[in-house]
Amino acid sequence: MSILVNENTKIIVQGLTGQAGSFHAKQCMDYGSDIVGGVTPGKGGAEVLGQPIFDSVAEAKSVTGCNASLIFVPAPFAADAILEAEDAGVELIVCITEGIPVRDMLEVKNVMERSSSRLVGPNCPGIITPGSCKMGIMPGYIHKKGSVGVVSRSGTLTYEAVWQTTERGLGQSTCVGIGGDPLGGTNFIDVLELFEADDETEAILLIGEIGGSAEEQAAEWIKEKGTKPVAAFITGRTAPPGRRMGHAGAIISGGQGKAEDKIAALRSAGVVVAETPAEMALAVKTAIK
Amino acid sequence: MLLSLFSVEGNRILADKRINPNIRVIMHIHEYQAKELLRRYGVTVPDFAVVSDVEEAKRVVADLGTEKVVVKVMVHAGGRGKAGGVKIAENGEEAVLFAQEMLGMKIVNRQTGKEGVVAEKVMIAPLTDIDKQYYLSCAIDRERGCATLIASPEGGVEIEEVAEKDPDKILKIPVSLGGRLRSYQLFELAKFMGWKGDVAKQGMRTAQAMAKAFFDNDCSLLEINPLALTPEGNIVALDAKCSIDDNALFRHPKISSMYDPSQSPSREAEAEKHDLSYIALDGNIGCMVNGAGLAMATMDIISHFGGMPANFLDVGGGATAEKVAEGFKIIASDPNVKAILVNIFGGIMNCETVAEGIVAAGGAFVPLVLRMEGTGVEEGKQKLVAAGIDVVVADSMATAAEKVVACTKGN
Repeated sequence: MSILVNENTKIIVQGLTGQAGSFHAKQCMDYGSDIVGGVTPGKGGAEVLGQPIFDSVAEAKSVTGCNASLIFVPAPFAADAILEAEDAGVELIVCITEGIPVRDMLEVKNVMERSSSRLVGPNCPGIITPGSCKMGIMPGYIHKKGSVGVVSRSGTLTYEAVWQTTERGLGQSTCVGIGGDPLGGTNFIDVLELFEADDETEAILLIGEIGGSAEEQAAEWIKEKGTKPVAAFITGRTAPPGRRMGHAGAIISGGQGKAEDKIAALRSAGVVVAETPAEMALAVKTAIK
Repeated sequence: MLLSLFSVEGNRILADKRINPNIRVIMHIHEYQAKELLRRYGVTVPDFAVVSDVEEAKRVVADLGTEKVVVKVMVHAGGRGKAGGVKIAENGEEAVLFAQEMLGMKIVNRQTGKEGVVAEKVMIAPLTDIDKQYYLSCAIDRERGCATLIASPEGGVEIEEVAEKDPDKILKIPVSLGGRLRSYQLFELAKFMGWKGDVAKQGMRTAQAMAKAFFDNDCSLLEINPLALTPEGNIVALDAKCSIDDNALFRHPKISSMYDPSQSPSREAEAEKHDLSYIALDGNIGCMVNGAGLAMATMDIISHFGGMPANFLDVGGGATAEKVAEGFKIIASDPNVKAILVNIFGGIMNCETVAEGIVAAGGAFVPLVLRMEGTGVEEGKQKLVAAGIDVVVADSMATAAEKVVACTKGN
């Protein structure tokens, strides 16, 4: 079954005419994803990668019948792009763009809370269901169809985890990058609920990092409602307090958001937490036993 | 005085005492700039002057007469008072002496890191008499996903102390989009602060002005501490701190021009120029990684095997060979670095590009351990070998970390 994306996902790309948009859309198409068009205001009627470009998401949706939008729009305009996709009623919105101002995201968050659309990201690698749909910027070939559901705040660290689970023969049901920004759409618990209800997902790997309390909240959820084995890795144990570690959301402040606290919360919920990033797949194996 | 940034989490307000003022995604501006900003929005700020040399200081104090004068260093760091960067002069002559002393003064504390920051400007202001001190700030509450006004009748001390000892003395009010405080919220604030009559009017006006300024200027933090009540019954901002969301600077050209590289550690300022995410740390193993999560994980695994990372560096997803070269040079320029670990998981980033960058930087004078996986990995390794760069190749993160740690422990 997998979650969020599959062979029925019809994707439009907002920002398809840009360099990043066209490069990654090509990679997605090569992987087998169903990209049905693009949106760039003012460039309607053009064609990129053999797909039609529309002036607006609403137009694109009415012509292509898309149910998902992948956003590569530059940061100053990305929040508007998300709101446009939401307004057009696109069910799944994945925003790759990094560096959206917090003020813009305050409005997006306000709108998404009352919306039937789902936002994943921003500042994330996207979503992939191996063998059926890649909607993001992750290298496709490291994935393998399998049983581990991966959810992560990181990009390349997720690739590392995926690579390990592929090498150990576990494979992945779906991998969801929820993004490294302090204000985002879909959170850990949303994805845990989806994995919990998914037949193909036998175990879950959660990759968290310092900052905020999303991992602690996930631990609460796992303790109360989770029935599937969960493994985790939390990065940033050695990060100095008060510094933003690359991701806008990765900061320890006032003694909150520390890796140790997150690890302790997850362990108390029965989660197997990997000691080092080299042991993420091993932790999944241990959790399954 | 509260030290710059803090976050609001759950029901408690927490502040970080060790915050380093120079972080990517947050741009700090000086106290005088924050005060000018607040003044534009209608907050009452007592007169002040900012000088960058002694002659200027002399001219400024001549205008002030013999009143008592406060002299403060303008640096992007808290703890100025303890470091001797805030002094009260009995008269103008003494103020000039203090200004002379403070110009060029290096402030070194936990916030600034080992390098410290140098004061290139000082603020000179007539001393304001105070009846009572309050605290007022605006920040983003990431759990609730909104901006929040934070107020306390206990001002002039670190707000995290108040949060710890007397959490009931702190009020948090969610701020609507656009920075509007509703009238009932303003009345709630006045009551909580114990403001009455004209003082209440001034206090409410100050809070509203601050919330508006916070939104309009994409602030991450805007803080007045202390907000003071004078014997004459005026509410005035005596100290102000402000940091701006770096990602929003494109719509604030005036604030962008306030960026002050003299307030960043040199290697971090250099990295900033090349749009690299670099943070200096205390160890001796230089790290070059793509992706923030993997970069942190690399630091963690180095430390797991008994080593100490010298830096955090995320070269980013779409880095060019030139950018990699600049990053590599910055790492190699750290005199503490005894070995370098390059950990790249090629995706968007091609390993070959990384190799080209390392070659362009001329390699390193210290042992170099390389772990590459993903796109272009073979081409990348070949490129380094062909250029005659001496590298220890590791095939997993764990072996790479073990090898680089071994390099720093003799032999």
